[in-house]
Amino acid sequence: MEYIVVSILNGVVHGLLLFMVSAGLTLIFGMMGVLNFAHAWFYMLGAYVGFTLTRLGGFWIGLLLAPIIAGLAGALVERYMLRRVHHYGHAHELLLTFGLAFIIEEIIKLFYGDALVSYQMPDYMRFAAFTIFETNYPFYRLFMGAVAIGMFVFLYLLLTRTRVGIIVRAATYRPSTVEALGHNLPLVFMGVFAGGSALAGLAGAVAGAFYPTGPNMAVDFGTLVFVVVVVGGLGSVVGALIASLMIGLFISFSVGLNVSIADLLGLFGLGNWANDIGGLFTLQLSTIANSMPFLLMLLVLLIRPAGLMGDRQ
Amino acid sequence: MSQARNLVLIAVGLAILAIMPLFLSANLMNAVIKMMIAALFALAFTLAMGQAGMLSFGHAAYYGLGAFAALHLMRAVEMKLFFFPTPLVPIAGAAIGFLFGAVFGWLATQRTGVYFAMVTLALAELLFTLAPTWNSVFGGESGISTMRGASWGLSFGSDSHVYYLTLAWFVISAWCMWAFTKSPLGRLALALRDNEHRVRFLGFNTHVARTLIFAISCLFTGVAGALLAIANEATNYTIFSAQASANVVLQTFIGGAGTFFGPALGAATMTFFARVTSDLTRSWLLYQGLIFVLIMLFAPEGLGGIVSLHARKLRPGGWRHLLLPYLLCLVAALPLIGGLVFVVESIHVIMTDAYFAKRAAAGGAWVAYQLFGHTFEPLGPTTWAIPITLLGVGSLLLPMARRVTAAAWLLATQDQPPPSPRAMLSLQHPSRS
Amino acid sequence: MNRAIAAASMPGALSGAPVLELRNLTKSFGETEIIRGVDLVVKRGQRHALIGPNGAGKSTLFNLISGHYVPSSGEILLNGETIAGLPPHAINRRGLSRSFQITNVFPRMSVAENLRISIMGRHGHRLTLFRPVASLKAVNDEVDGIIDKLRLGRRRNDLAGDLAYSEQRILEMGMSLATDPAVLLLDEPTAGLSREETAYIVELIRQVTEGRTLLVVEHDMSVVFTLSDQISVLVYGEVIASGEPAGVRADKKVQEAYLGEEVH
Repeated sequence: MEYIVVSILNGVVHGLLLFMVSAGLTLIFGMMGVLNFAHAWFYMLGAYVGFTLTRLGGFWIGLLLAPIIAGLAGALVERYMLRRVHHYGHAHELLLTFGLAFIIEEIIKLFYGDALVSYQMPDYMRFAAFTIFETNYPFYRLFMGAVAIGMFVFLYLLLTRTRVGIIVRAATYRPSTVEALGHNLPLVFMGVFAGGSALAGLAGAVAGAFYPTGPNMAVDFGTLVFVVVVVGGLGSVVGALIASLMIGLFISFSVGLNVSIADLLGLFGLGNWANDIGGLFTLQLSTIANSMPFLLMLLVLLIRPAGLMGDRQ
Repeated sequence: MSQARNLVLIAVGLAILAIMPLFLSANLMNAVIKMMIAALFALAFTLAMGQAGMLSFGHAAYYGLGAFAALHLMRAVEMKLFFFPTPLVPIAGAAIGFLFGAVFGWLATQRTGVYFAMVTLALAELLFTLAPTWNSVFGGESGISTMRGASWGLSFGSDSHVYYLTLAWFVISAWCMWAFTKSPLGRLALALRDNEHRVRFLGFNTHVARTLIFAISCLFTGVAGALLAIANEATNYTIFSAQASANVVLQTFIGGAGTFFGPALGAATMTFFARVTSDLTRSWLLYQGLIFVLIMLFAPEGLGGIVSLHARKLRPGGWRHLLLPYLLCLVAALPLIGGLVFVVESIHVIMTDAYFAKRAAAGGAWVAYQLFGHTFEPLGPTTWAIPITLLGVGSLLLPMARRVTAAAWLLATQDQPPPSPRAMLSLQHPSRS
Repeated sequence: MNRAIAAASMPGALSGAPVLELRNLTKSFGETEIIRGVDLVVKRGQRHALIGPNGAGKSTLFNLISGHYVPSSGEILLNGETIAGLPPHAINRRGLSRSFQITNVFPRMSVAENLRISIMGRHGHRLTLFRPVASLKAVNDEVDGIIDKLRLGRRRNDLAGDLAYSEQRILEMGMSLATDPAVLLLDEPTAGLSREETAYIVELIRQVTEGRTLLVVEHDMSVVFTLSDQISVLVYGEVIASGEPAGVRADKKVQEAYLGEEVH
């Protein structure tokens, strides 16, 4: 029982973190048709900014600066790179952001090395929020979840209650009409791009203090984000939320389950036979927890090729 | 006749490749082997991408699977389970590549465009996370290793045997892929790249077609992987990494996906530079990424595209106009490159543990560091002056070089003759959607 | 073999038998109903025009018939066989082909290649690997034949993307024609063309579609009345009139729907 509750809590937090990053990505794609491959690399950038500033004395300053720097980087990328190659088509833009991701990763490796860095939360945040069934539940996990929920609320209010939000939403459907109505469309694009990147940076700064921070975090997290958008349907923020939570829960439940196919077959009396075969049959779920999202994606693709909330192509 | 010219070029190229081992050291021969493998990988990748428009971000999956298949086969031979001639081992890579290409391709081609790219990435990551846990097949963290077996009177102990084996397979595979472009399926691939939607309404089951094309691409990727396994006699799960998939994408587009040999050119060149600079710098991947982004921004057709542009557009004798402008471009580019390299390498040295230790020993002061055989003071005026001057000079010269080159280009190509009056009367609508 | 002639020799295939039938066809996108119960009969050998104000649903109807959309309800019958819900390629293989309002060619391939793709499928060369396409004599002969019919001989080796707009429209139509359909759906073939070009293309259409059944969406009324022997009028997703041109022209409902439209 304890396992279930803890896994649910962990899964939801992880899912919310995923959502923080994928929401930006899916919004940008929905509006501009550009898939920013480097999105998860802005996440990593945010984590390293957080790390650097924490080392220099200010964790909270790091949390403040990470989104600003990531947002600024996003704005520059949109203005000086993406806009340039826009007329070559979406595949070209994707490739450009792909190269960018590569460069960001190499620059970070240049400054910080190949190994993990020790980005830690401040000591006063290192306590248990509550105890559940004899497990101490870390406060920081709840903090991460709170930041993610706060961001979600902020985004929701921004998009639905403000003038800027209406313009942005309109631009998602009919960019040329918005422009014809006199709005500065390039500015809207740049703003959305910068905003999405800033969110990713904030997520990185928050998560990096808890999860391992290293040059591989972008690839690891990034592929998860891509799975989220494939499963949830590109352009659908709600789809991204559902898919993020699903994947978060999937991973967190798998991590603790030391069951294998052989164990399942054991229920039918075939345990010994399966164990003798070894290989795939004795592989424990916990070991392949990292592969679960991809298996989920394959499953979804087989059943519903357009994603959960995507429309038929 | 350009066709005759191309054949001559190819014949000369093959001849050079064939006699090279006589003049190369073992190290260089190994480098050329790796270049050929990379070129084959890039050609196979382009079959799906440049031709059918299927951008795959996870092609290393089939590369790795080919390698592991080859290794298992060679191991079986090594353990005397049965005999299989070493020169035919890449067939195993081809078979496994095709099989997984078909299965994964069937899944991935349910979607198009960016979705397709992401699915291929996720599939490769699936293998990457699964492989280290599946010891019997992938050898866990350390991988699998074996020895090449003697076959057909050759020991395959020396590099030159491996070289010729690789060359043979490279030539055969390249020819097959070129023949593919001339077959009905190959033409269909181009149509799919241009307008997949339309192809459906012409009676083609595009899902089946794209799966088959993808599987063929993976077949040759598997061959490349098998050749790598034969050359290295070992591999491990890192062959499935996103890094490996990313590399082939970068190299292909640097070379240019629009021509047949562009990708091979890009892959061979980048592999060569990677090896040559591996002693001088550890930041080669950064440079490769920068080259890629610059090409994406300013020369989207890649190196191959630039070559083909010259071949197509220059009128006879036109190249004379371009000699000086290109020299000027070089003069502008070199300081920029120099300044960049200086900055990157300096940062690199400063960030190493050895330097950190030196600083700690000096009480935290910014001690001098060594670079390119010279000593530099991190806070000294010369250390800052060098990159600033280089970058400054380069930036000033660059716009001028561009203007001069553009003007010379007009002269050198003397673009199409003015349109005939009749052609001018026919209505031209920009109707490309 | 010309499938139209083959179809015409089937039992019951008298000129005048229905070759394409829509029965109570509806299509909704979410809450919005675009096609609200369409009944339409196209007889063999007819030149049938589909007209209606903008937004009536003509393109949607074409998308339904050609397999791009699945109907929400109702039937689509081709030669008596139901085709609703089949994928586009299956419908094409059963003898129905469509062209597009927005030119939909392969811009980076030559005119001859564009047509070759359209033709080679019928000769069983959809997935052929081991023969160079240049060696397929039957296919290449047919390509030459259709290039002549379309009078695009001069542009044979030019890239489709480099053609003049009017030539692209001809190629667009030619590609659909090249699949040798019994029923040809043309979606605004004269869209964007000048008066001279329109006359030219109408004449061409008349020639190349001999013996085939034609369903054309058109806005240009002069084309409609020149080319067609049957007209159906689609307004807000319903067919409000269907019959011979003179009768439709005089129909009160049709005139109301077109109030404000200039009739040439």
